Amino acid sequence: MSGIIAIARRDLRAYFASPRAAAIFWFFLIFMGFFFKNFVHMFMQMTTQAPMMGGQAPTLEQLLKALFYNLHFILLLIIPAVTMASFSEEKKNQSIRLLQTSPCTALEIVLGKFFAASGIMALALLASSVYPLFTVAHGNPDKMMILCSYLGLFLLVTSQIAFGLWVSSMTSNQFLAFLFTMFGLFLLLILNWMAPNLSGGGITESILKYLASSDHLDSFFKGTISVAHTTYFLIFTGMFLFFTNVTLDSQRWR
Amino acid sequence: MIEVLGLSKNYGDLAALSDVSFTVEKGQIVGFLGANGAGKSTTMDILCGCIGADKGSAKIAGFDITEQPIEAKKRLGYLPDVAPLHHDMLVEEYIEYAARLHKVESSAIKSRVDITIEKLALSDVRKRLIANLSKGYRQRVGLAQALVHDPDVLVLDEPTEGLDPTQIAEIRKLIRSLAGQHTILLSSHILSEVQNTCDKIIIINKGKIVTQGTYEQLATSMEAGHVYKLKVARNGSNALTTLGRIGLNNLKTGSTPEEIEFAVGAAGGDQILDDVARAVVDGGFGLRGLTLKTRSLEDIFLQLTK
Repeated sequence: MSGIIAIARRDLRAYFASPRAAAIFWFFLIFMGFFFKNFVHMFMQMTTQAPMMGGQAPTLEQLLKALFYNLHFILLLIIPAVTMASFSEEKKNQSIRLLQTSPCTALEIVLGKFFAASGIMALALLASSVYPLFTVAHGNPDKMMILCSYLGLFLLVTSQIAFGLWVSSMTSNQFLAFLFTMFGLFLLLILNWMAPNLSGGGITESILKYLASSDHLDSFFKGTISVAHTTYFLIFTGMFLFFTNVTLDSQRWR
Repeated sequence: MIEVLGLSKNYGDLAALSDVSFTVEKGQIVGFLGANGAGKSTTMDILCGCIGADKGSAKIAGFDITEQPIEAKKRLGYLPDVAPLHHDMLVEEYIEYAARLHKVESSAIKSRVDITIEKLALSDVRKRLIANLSKGYRQRVGLAQALVHDPDVLVLDEPTEGLDPTQIAEIRKLIRSLAGQHTILLSSHILSEVQNTCDKIIIINKGKIVTQGTYEQLATSMEAGHVYKLKVARNGSNALTTLGRIGLNNLKTGSTPEEIEFAVGAAGGDQILDDVARAVVDGGFGLRGLTLKTRSLEDIFLQLTK
């Protein structure tokens, strides 16, 4: 246990000791800001036009939902940047030996790295809450919906981090780790659109659709916490953490 | 303290280690000597649990490194050939991190870090970034990492590699001062280093242990008796023929005709030396010197790994 804390603390500090954390926060918030500004602009336009056209005015919940959907795309670039260094860098500069020769199990090492990466993303998500808070200050959105969305996003982020850690544990090249993580996460995102083309329908299609991360987020964005979708993210995270553990352990035998 | 039994390791078709066995007693400093690529680092990596062996076992303080890795690693400090440093950390931060990783009691961490910094003379740089340190200091920080949890066994892979002569002397002195309280296995391809610091020497070549023992044991086992060097003032060739009549083994001329080398068997050596001296004086060649030519570790090493 003390090993997990030591590793997590060091890694978390390392993000801030280099420009990495700053860059991650910057890109995350700037891009989210672009989207937010655009959506607010559209929202204002539609609100004023709706009565004239005789349609329904958009709700703030719809605005936020659009914002959160787009966050999924931003995360495709952010998460690989967060996880790429976790193992690759340590392997490259040989500091992994310190972990390997310390009385810590592979699981402690994996969890330490996982908590550090989750910590930095939790902070990033926290910082990103300025945008929803802006809508709360100037309107009356459903606050439960915002909280649920954030829970869903956090679960998504942890599952993506687990995947990124696994990729990072397999290479000493940070660029490859970034690329493969991004590709894998992108595949998961678009899997439910591609599922009909990849399979002949039936059970294969439903399995592929189940694997896609985007479908499971929907219910969180609607403001409900469902056990099934929470379980998906937890299993996904646990599975890839387990894979990372196996990869790390097996490297001792090569 | 360290028990290695029948280690074998293959990298593909290349046999990096075959049937390596040795033991290191408590408090000893043992030198692991071999040319580059002889299998030193591989042995040490296996011993420290970084990589696995194909066959054989390694025990640290009685704990098998594969069966009970956590217990074994608690008693182990390892400085690999490249010090495992985090360049973005301060020296004291890094040492504290190493202490936490090695499960030092949280109440003892501060004092252990201070003691280690003191011991390795790192006080001047404790608030500096590791990235900004010189190679000698980085090596010492690497050693600090291996020492901070006060391990029973220290494994050092070429600890003086790439340092300047002053730093080498300092590190050697440091290693000597650690003997007794820690059991130390250090590797090197520099012979004089091992000769100066170690109680016992293990010579490894192409993945096999060639020989092991104390320096004196190795030196004696390598030669039946001693080689002496005789220096005369004049008429070296005549002296050679005169000495030939006494019946000396391996009689030959050295680098100049006035230098003569001969071997003396282990028994009856003193008598022969008297005879040689008398023959030189009586023959009027002018005795200038009669010295025992000890063989350096280098000779032994070259002969063994030929």
